[in-house]
Amino acid sequence: MNRRIFLKSAAAAAIAQSLPWRTAFAQDGWRTFETVTRVEVRDSFGVARAWVPLPMEMDTSWQKALGNSWSGNTTTAEVKHDGKYGIAMLYMEWSDKVMNPVVEVTSRFMTRDRATDFARADSPIDLSAADRKFFTAPTELIPTDGIVRKMALDITKGAKTDVDRARAIYEWIVDNTFRDPKTRGCGVGDVKSLLESGNLGGKCADLNALYVGLARSVGVPARDVYGVRVAPSRYGYKSLGAGTANITKAQHCRAEFFASGYGWVAIDPADVRKVVLEEPPGNLPIKDEKVVAARKRLFGSWEMNWVAYNNGHDVKLPHATKAPKLPFLMYINAESDGELRDQLEPDSVRYTITAREITA
Amino acid sequence: MLRFAVALVLAGAALVASFSIRATELKPWEGGATPPLALEDMGGKTHNLGEYKGKVVLVNFWATWCEPCRAEMPSIDRLRSSLKGKPFEVLAVNMAEPLSRIEKFSASLPLGFPLLRDRDGSVGKTWKAKLLPASYLIGRDGRIHYVAYGELDWSSDAVRAKVAELLQ
Repeated sequence: MNRRIFLKSAAAAAIAQSLPWRTAFAQDGWRTFETVTRVEVRDSFGVARAWVPLPMEMDTSWQKALGNSWSGNTTTAEVKHDGKYGIAMLYMEWSDKVMNPVVEVTSRFMTRDRATDFARADSPIDLSAADRKFFTAPTELIPTDGIVRKMALDITKGAKTDVDRARAIYEWIVDNTFRDPKTRGCGVGDVKSLLESGNLGGKCADLNALYVGLARSVGVPARDVYGVRVAPSRYGYKSLGAGTANITKAQHCRAEFFASGYGWVAIDPADVRKVVLEEPPGNLPIKDEKVVAARKRLFGSWEMNWVAYNNGHDVKLPHATKAPKLPFLMYINAESDGELRDQLEPDSVRYTITAREITA
Repeated sequence: MLRFAVALVLAGAALVASFSIRATELKPWEGGATPPLALEDMGGKTHNLGEYKGKVVLVNFWATWCEPCRAEMPSIDRLRSSLKGKPFEVLAVNMAEPLSRIEKFSASLPLGFPLLRDRDGSVGKTWKAKLLPASYLIGRDGRIHYVAYGELDWSSDAVRAKVAELLQ
């Protein structure tokens, strides 16, 4: 980081820290980012394929897609969508004549910090009956009955509104789970196994999926949102931002719940646990003021130094030879000669993702 | 030293060539009716696609940050020049970039067709231009006939044949 940028962000962080979170957020405008994903399918024999998640196509008040482009030696490159959730991905295929499959995918998008003002229940957005059913339905790894529902009923006992229920679950996740640094990637989000094991450790895909499962099981529409961090936090949290321009391992998923009068509300209990574990000097007590501030902020707002890809579950990769169902699409996937490479081992595919903010 | 420099340039050219084998081709359009398009160029003049009826029009969505977009521009210009006097037009639509960036690009690569501004990218979204460059070949009947997502050599025989077919 050059000195000028560092001083600018340090000053912004200082100002932000002196303001209540929501005030600081409201002052932010749109920022433009570019990510470049370079994928090489190493030691490829036969036909090779790769799937790269793209920024969410739907424009929102907090993210807008500006476009994608690619260059490389692919035989086919097409934008494909998962039918159920509309997940956008760039699908690439190389014929068996291509010895060193390689592609670079560039995406541009704009983001803006988002926050819900719980003092104003005036959002005109409502969910149709079909959407409400969709966002309270179980997925393969997120059941909404049995132990999940039993636990959620206990947690939300006495809560009168969807916001009350959502908040009760949020506080329970923060108080009862932990970030397990040994979890591979971001976890898989196997909610039932997590609860049955009694070991409530994991990363964002586990902890926020647990949130979604608990919320859905008591009728609160909720969804995971998968993406990647693209910039450092401007609010003084080292653990909640991309440390460098190389964001190959900066994937992060968040969650939202829906409440009439407020629309979709941003939350991120997993990031509170990340602050506890990772914010210097590390292993902060839950009463530490940085944790307390993050806990307050992350029920209702997101800093958008992160790009959302999609909110899909049980994803079938189009044209995959063995058509495995992935719990979600947040990583680069590739296969060669019919074998899917390990998506959590960037070196087995050799991919890098870099990000930069466009300021001019 | 000169021999070394030549070898370096040749090696670089080979590397670039190996990294830019084109997978794009013009495919028949199956996406339905032609969306509307009325946008200003850099000088503020509005170009309405509806007024181009009777001509073959290449609508090309692009951005300065999109390397394949920049790379194919000269071939679009070659195609346009070769069809001088024929009812063929190019409308190149920039996706949501500041005027200063488009002007800088235009100064570095003078082109014989208008560069239009889709200021917030909303027109590109209507056209489903998610992967840039996104190019649509519109026939004299005003319908989209062919589409290409990605870099194309617009002066190639294969492309010329399709344009000629639409010009008939």
